[in-house]
Amino acid sequence: MELITAIANDLVILAKPALFNIYFAAASIPIGFVLAIFVALGKGSSSGLVSSLSRGFIYAFRGSPFFIQLFMFYSLALAFNLSLWKPLGIDWIVLNPLILGPAVLVLNTTAYTANILHGAMQNVPKGEIEAARAFGMNRLQLFRAVTWPNVIRIAWPAYTNEVVVLFHTTALVYFTLPVINDQKDLMNKAGELFEKDYNAFLHFPVAGLYFLGVSMIIFFVFGRVYRHLMRHLPQAPAIRFSPRWIRG
Amino acid sequence: MVDLLPQWLRDVLGQDVLFWLGYFTNGKHLSWYASVQYTLAAGAIGAAVALGLGVLSAAGRNSRFAGFRLLGKAYTNSLPGIPDVLFFLFFPLAFEQAVEWIRAQAVCTPAELALGRWPLCPDANLIFGSFEYLILAGVSLGIVYGAFAGNVISGAMNSVPRGQLEAARAYGMSPLQVLLRVHIRQMWAYALPGLSNIWMLLIKATSLLSLLQISDIVLWADRLGSPNFTRSAGLVHPDWRWGYYLVLLIFYILLTFLSEKLFTALQRWAGRGMATAGAS
Repeated sequence: MELITAIANDLVILAKPALFNIYFAAASIPIGFVLAIFVALGKGSSSGLVSSLSRGFIYAFRGSPFFIQLFMFYSLALAFNLSLWKPLGIDWIVLNPLILGPAVLVLNTTAYTANILHGAMQNVPKGEIEAARAFGMNRLQLFRAVTWPNVIRIAWPAYTNEVVVLFHTTALVYFTLPVINDQKDLMNKAGELFEKDYNAFLHFPVAGLYFLGVSMIIFFVFGRVYRHLMRHLPQAPAIRFSPRWIRG
Repeated sequence: MVDLLPQWLRDVLGQDVLFWLGYFTNGKHLSWYASVQYTLAAGAIGAAVALGLGVLSAAGRNSRFAGFRLLGKAYTNSLPGIPDVLFFLFFPLAFEQAVEWIRAQAVCTPAELALGRWPLCPDANLIFGSFEYLILAGVSLGIVYGAFAGNVISGAMNSVPRGQLEAARAYGMSPLQVLLRVHIRQMWAYALPGLSNIWMLLIKATSLLSLLQISDIVLWADRLGSPNFTRSAGLVHPDWRWGYYLVLLIFYILLTFLSEKLFTALQRWAGRGMATAGAS
């Protein structure tokens, strides 16, 4: 009974910090998705320069840890504070963790998502594209009517995992960026609670419960969207109950 | 370091180059380069533990005993659901507390134990240095990524064609021979792409060592790049941290690149003589 009240108590305390993690993910995922479409198109572009730039971007951000990326961009923001941001009067934007955090997350998720989308673009059935060309569609029509609907269906399961892992990655943001006032996220708050009573076995697992719970909600919602995307098929595909938790 | 160079080379390089060469080989920078060993050690320990736990949990999931099956499934399904950094911080703390609690039962007086406050008594306190934390960090990375590896290995075990195992049995191999010579031997070809992915995650997670106060490459980069101000010399250099982190970024990209090459070679080796895609 005592344990249940302790857990419930922690769940209440950690509810507001969880919103910060959700905010970081929710702010970066839509922007990253839109940017990733362009980077993925760039990777498949016939222009050598655009293609190698996109490839380099994807390789750099997939090949290095988010923790280091965050450190680098934060120290860049700090180093040019006095010479650039302050005179321009935008230092409160550039150095705000609620803006800088999602900005770096956007770069990170763009690279991973672009890789997923590019892989999917490679797997669009050739016959459908040829048929669309035979109909006399121009490139924009072809993309909207044929390529994109195929891409989003092929990429969706992998993208679901990407979103969940990105949400997990938000745990790292406040290890680097400064915490302003009481804007603590789950990891900060769990650490703070731990320092009060040294009860590692209570606070960290409860924080983990929040991550697990939100991940489950993401899997559920994205599973429903997947069913909607596949509604033209005779049987709805089985909802995958074994999430992969791993980035593409 | 610069003093070791022959005179003619010093003349060729000129004062400016020599100054920077000297700066980037001073004691602090050499410590930075040497601290790469902690990153690599944590990666190696993590990989060994992850592979061991992956094989164990895959065996558990296919076990005849319901208890092992449950244990294997609980481990491989639940641990990936939380961020690696959460477990990475939790495990060393939890391990330390568990050992302290066990020690306290022997060392502390009953009166101190009855208080139930943490820490239980001063005698039971453990002081861990960075060596112990390095081992703990490696092990906790191994536990996290062992769960991923368990999924990959158990999937790969199921991917080996049944006919291969039946053929091995028909040849009169004992169950152990079938397992070692055919099942596990062929499993690697299916598991390596997934294991390669997990190794990339693990090597990237080694950047977290500084969170456990280990003086790894990240902590040194922060120390070396921070604006350096001394009373006698004034501002030695402004904030150079982004440059040092850029070097780390490139270091990790190189590490990823080398790992990719290594795993491609491994995959070719594991798939030799097999009729799978990617094997020759």
